[in-house]
Amino acid sequence: MTGGKHDPITLEIIQNSLQAAADEMFAAMKKTAMSSIIYEVLDMGTGIMDAEGEIASSGAGIPAFIGVLDKATRVIIRKFNRPGDVRPGDVFATNDPYYGGVTHLNDIVVIMPVFVDEELIAWTANIAHHSDVGGMAPGSLTGEASEIFQEGLRLPAVKIIEGGEPIKPVMEIIRVNSRMPDVLEGDLWAAIASVRIGARRLEGLARKYGTRVFADAMSAFMDFGEEVSRRALSRLPKGRFELSEEQDDGQNFNVAITISDDSFTVDLRNNPDQAGSPVNTSRDGVMVAAQMIFKSLTDPYSPANGGSFRPIRLLTREGSVFHASEPAAIGFYYEIELRVYDLIWRCLAPHMPDLLAAGHFASVCGTFIGGIHPDTGRQYTIIEPQLGGWGASRLGDGNSAMFCGFHGETYNCPAEINEARNGLFVDRMELNLEPGGEGRHMGGRGIVLDYRVRTDNGFLTAGYTRSRFPAWGLDGGHDGSPNYIEFIPKDGDRQRLAFTSGLPTSRGDVIRVVTGNGGGLGNPAERDADRVREDVRNGLISPDRALEVFGVDVDSGTKPDSSPAAGNG
Amino acid sequence: MSAGIVRVAADVGGTFTDLVCFETDAEGRRSQVRTAKADTTPPNYEEGVMNVLAKAGIDPSGIDFLVHGTTVVINALTERRGVRVGLITTEGFRDTLEIARGNRPDFFNLHYRKPPPFVPRRLRREVPGRMSYRGQELRPLDLSGLGDIIADFREEGVQAVAICFLHSYADPSHEREAEARVRELWPEVSVVSSHRIAREWREYERCNTAVLSAYVQPVAERYLDRLRDRLGSLGFAGNLYVMQSNCGVDSLDAVSRIPITMVESGPASGVWGAAELGRLIGEPNILALDIGGTTAKCALVEGGNVRIMTDYWIERDRTSAGYPIMVPVVDLVEIGNGGGSIAWVDDFGKLHVGPRSAGALPGPAAYGKGGANATTTDANLWLGRINRDNFCDGEVVADMAAVENAIANVGRRLGVGIDEAARGIIRIANNNMVNALKLVSLNRGFDPRDFTLVAFGGGGGMHAMALARELGVRKVVVPESASVFAAWGMMMSDLRRDYFVTRLADLEPDAAEGIEAAYAETEARAFADFEAEGIPPENVTVKRFGKFRYRNQEHTTEIELDAEPMSGESAGAVSDRFHEAYEREYTYRLDAPVEMVGIHLVASAEVGKLEMTGREATGTPAGSSLKGVREVDFANDGVHAADIHDGSRLEPGMRFAGPAIVEAPGTTIVVHPGDRAEVDSHRNVVIRIGAAAIGGNGTSREEADGEAAGRDAGDGERRDA
Repeated sequence: MTGGKHDPITLEIIQNSLQAAADEMFAAMKKTAMSSIIYEVLDMGTGIMDAEGEIASSGAGIPAFIGVLDKATRVIIRKFNRPGDVRPGDVFATNDPYYGGVTHLNDIVVIMPVFVDEELIAWTANIAHHSDVGGMAPGSLTGEASEIFQEGLRLPAVKIIEGGEPIKPVMEIIRVNSRMPDVLEGDLWAAIASVRIGARRLEGLARKYGTRVFADAMSAFMDFGEEVSRRALSRLPKGRFELSEEQDDGQNFNVAITISDDSFTVDLRNNPDQAGSPVNTSRDGVMVAAQMIFKSLTDPYSPANGGSFRPIRLLTREGSVFHASEPAAIGFYYEIELRVYDLIWRCLAPHMPDLLAAGHFASVCGTFIGGIHPDTGRQYTIIEPQLGGWGASRLGDGNSAMFCGFHGETYNCPAEINEARNGLFVDRMELNLEPGGEGRHMGGRGIVLDYRVRTDNGFLTAGYTRSRFPAWGLDGGHDGSPNYIEFIPKDGDRQRLAFTSGLPTSRGDVIRVVTGNGGGLGNPAERDADRVREDVRNGLISPDRALEVFGVDVDSGTKPDSSPAAGNG
Repeated sequence: MSAGIVRVAADVGGTFTDLVCFETDAEGRRSQVRTAKADTTPPNYEEGVMNVLAKAGIDPSGIDFLVHGTTVVINALTERRGVRVGLITTEGFRDTLEIARGNRPDFFNLHYRKPPPFVPRRLRREVPGRMSYRGQELRPLDLSGLGDIIADFREEGVQAVAICFLHSYADPSHEREAEARVRELWPEVSVVSSHRIAREWREYERCNTAVLSAYVQPVAERYLDRLRDRLGSLGFAGNLYVMQSNCGVDSLDAVSRIPITMVESGPASGVWGAAELGRLIGEPNILALDIGGTTAKCALVEGGNVRIMTDYWIERDRTSAGYPIMVPVVDLVEIGNGGGSIAWVDDFGKLHVGPRSAGALPGPAAYGKGGANATTTDANLWLGRINRDNFCDGEVVADMAAVENAIANVGRRLGVGIDEAARGIIRIANNNMVNALKLVSLNRGFDPRDFTLVAFGGGGGMHAMALARELGVRKVVVPESASVFAAWGMMMSDLRRDYFVTRLADLEPDAAEGIEAAYAETEARAFADFEAEGIPPENVTVKRFGKFRYRNQEHTTEIELDAEPMSGESAGAVSDRFHEAYEREYTYRLDAPVEMVGIHLVASAEVGKLEMTGREATGTPAGSSLKGVREVDFANDGVHAADIHDGSRLEPGMRFAGPAIVEAPGTTIVVHPGDRAEVDSHRNVVIRIGAAAIGGNGTSREEADGEAAGRDAGDGERRDA
């Protein structure tokens, strides 16, 4: 262990306290936020950076946000680099991926320096999805956007609080640009409270142990993160692995991964040019995707910090869909980030069968529904990701109805709260029984969720991927099933949708969300016959399919033919 | 004795069944206290209760008032020993129990396992019928399929039926109707509907609560029946109450109907004990800390009030989403950090303590039962804090060779000597507990320096002084009955019921009438419930709380309201109080509309609670409890020769200074150098942190001794290992 000149227990205690502080920041923000996407979906993250901006500790939340805060903090450090630029009590904000914001304009990163007397010792930061930051469409996200200017207010890494006092003009500009100014303001203050609470804890910690010991504890913690990663890296199979995969829109995405004893290189240079639609991401966003899968492959249990990610090398081509340049629109960046995450996963899965399961539904399935609440007359906006099926692994069947790999400690919205808060009906929320994901081990089930709209003049916006090509099976397991929305208007024809922007909705229309089953693993004919019967009894598969796909005659109580050929469809 | 009153509390814990008995004479002036411990006897816990009564020499026919706490519910849940449950729910929502909330706390782990539902899909059945969130019927209930459902349930061997319909918190009539019909069709089955337990929204949480309640009901009912029969056969004719998770007790009948409310009763009684002790000694603001064998629990008591919430989950931690149980439970933080917690060094040379515990078998290395892992208890023994010659009150010979081996192993992996390893274990364990105490205080906007730490359980007195110093707490109280404190706490409990009801309203003057109606309706329900137990309304105390938030927020802040009916004017005062409480907790306030989300009503009645009377100082000098001096390692505070006091010989008024150790039955109190201890009129040991600092006020001999003993015995080298 490095930093050894100090008592190791003291360092350990400081490191535990860093974790506690990041968790406390998270809890404070969750409890005060006004947007359900923050307090329930927990589309947010908190973190503690060292004085140089390397992330030392992160709170719970979603893995996709852990690697964001350090990148944003470094932009602040670079931009405010003259003496006196950064003072105690200051708070900064950025939301623009071209200014360290990493994701999209809805996500505002709030950053606060931590001082002990006059010495800058650390930064606290958080990121959260804000419901509306202006732009051409309600909720700021629309597939129609072709430039970032249409996606809302851009905060290019600016100071919003100076010496503890809010900079009023900036606050007013932020507020006036939102369609939901009260909510934006409430959420922004929740974020500010959270970084302040974290800063207070860190200051106390550094005063108690001394700033020198505090700094050494942080750097030892990151060295520890690196050591964990390097040790795990040495156990991964070495070599160069490649994959080319067709996307729903007909484009091909390509990845080449080289794993050596001391690095994990992801090469995404050979990919299409950036799109004229908002389905692009910044390079930082791709880095986050690589970090997520890397962490899962190395040591998912130990804390994730800057050190954990040091072995990653990322190669991208500026101007490509994975390294968009200004002014490309980036609203749906998360679907692209997920594609990279899934691409790396799929590329490596055959080579790491004990570490990686078959594919999961792998889309945020971001669903935006708005309109007027019939009982209160107030505007409501639902912004939510959906649950779906996860892939089967060597250990067993995949989980049903979980958020995708991008999310983590994320909660769905209860139907009872949804009906009260948003004034629509949730007619059902159940497991998706469509075929797909059959195997020796089954893919988990997606969901079917019916929203019935109660007022006219509403809208629906959505962006689902894996709608044409479902979650992939492994070792002979079947592919899962697709993600899509079935729009069932009261009058008119049903439509199947994956991407739609501002689709008008009226009273009585049903928006049916269908998310995919995860991929299966292994030949279905090898599935344990008792498990198949259990699935039939539980109404998950029909007796006919049990016979056809798994070769199990439910009524006879025996498996007629246990040869792998039986019923492999 | 026959003229007096005999009160008994019997608490079944994981390892021991504890008993506290108070006999008060006819004038209520003098009381005699007895405590006893017997082994817990799973699965027939009533055996242990009978044994402990016998051990204490108590004749059940002479008991007037018996309070019972039991782990039967939590054990049935965690050991999966409940019955097969069938669920009847709203059409379209059969899979709610399996879909759950979709979260993955262990989010980098791609092999995360979602907790499986307690009811398989084929036993989750739907019926048509729908209520709105405002409690209006949108579609009538259709029970035409119920006969078939019940036939299937019978065939599948279902023993309990849970019913949960959407929005039943707003109007439970469909659930009532279905429940009545099930009872009619299948009289012998046990039935639970969600509204009888929870009147709050969130269908997954409420549904899971109904299911888990049904799952344990027959088990708990059988146990309570056996207990009643056994006590009855020995002539018990007094009142029997059962401890609940909300710090109150309830009647046997009420608990038998909804036993799930017992789920966290053990920890609740300890917290309540701390609150009651605070009342007794004039300390309304308490941090309660209970350090047992496998976990440490902490909770905050503000102004004498405990915080009761319905956001309770079992089996939930960093690696699992767990299962929600929406019943009133005292708000506490529990961490895997007790005397038996195992110290281990990971592959990267980092020291951890817990959450794995050595349990009772093999137990700490010192038990000599083959435990090779060092535990917190082993470190405490090694450092001389626990008396190695009187381990477990002399019932176990401490295997110091095993202790040395176990700690040396930790030291080797850390690259440090054995003493430093032992100190490291204590420091890491303490840090874990400090962080837990911060969670219940600082994290909620309370400054621990404004609180008194009440430390109990076997390990409370051993660690509390170091934690207090770290948190800036100035005063620690280790109760006289620290080792049986849960039993003591339940003896002090009222008959209490917490009613949580979801009710949305804008906090505006014109909404006051509607809000008042909701309170009045719930109060009427409370009075009726108490009346059914034979307690008239005039004996019932009602406290009103409300859950408020800024419009658009989700999470709420709970505010206590005045007892008077809510009016247009008082709505404004409530709003002010909300802004104030909100700002304290979250550092800012908003100029935004305030919304009421639900009511929380606490109804309680005293049922034979004990009034404690203190004793005068006896003037016995502190030296009379002194039984020796030994070298003790106080970790951060150095190695010192410490006075050893016999806890059973402490008398009110005695004072002494640290470094000192008090060896009481079932617990050890570690008084650090610079701290000053005093025995109060209830024989609690009150320790003032840092009060005997530099030079002291040097009046008593005991303090002078303490100072003299404060010579440093070197930096970490033990002289007699």
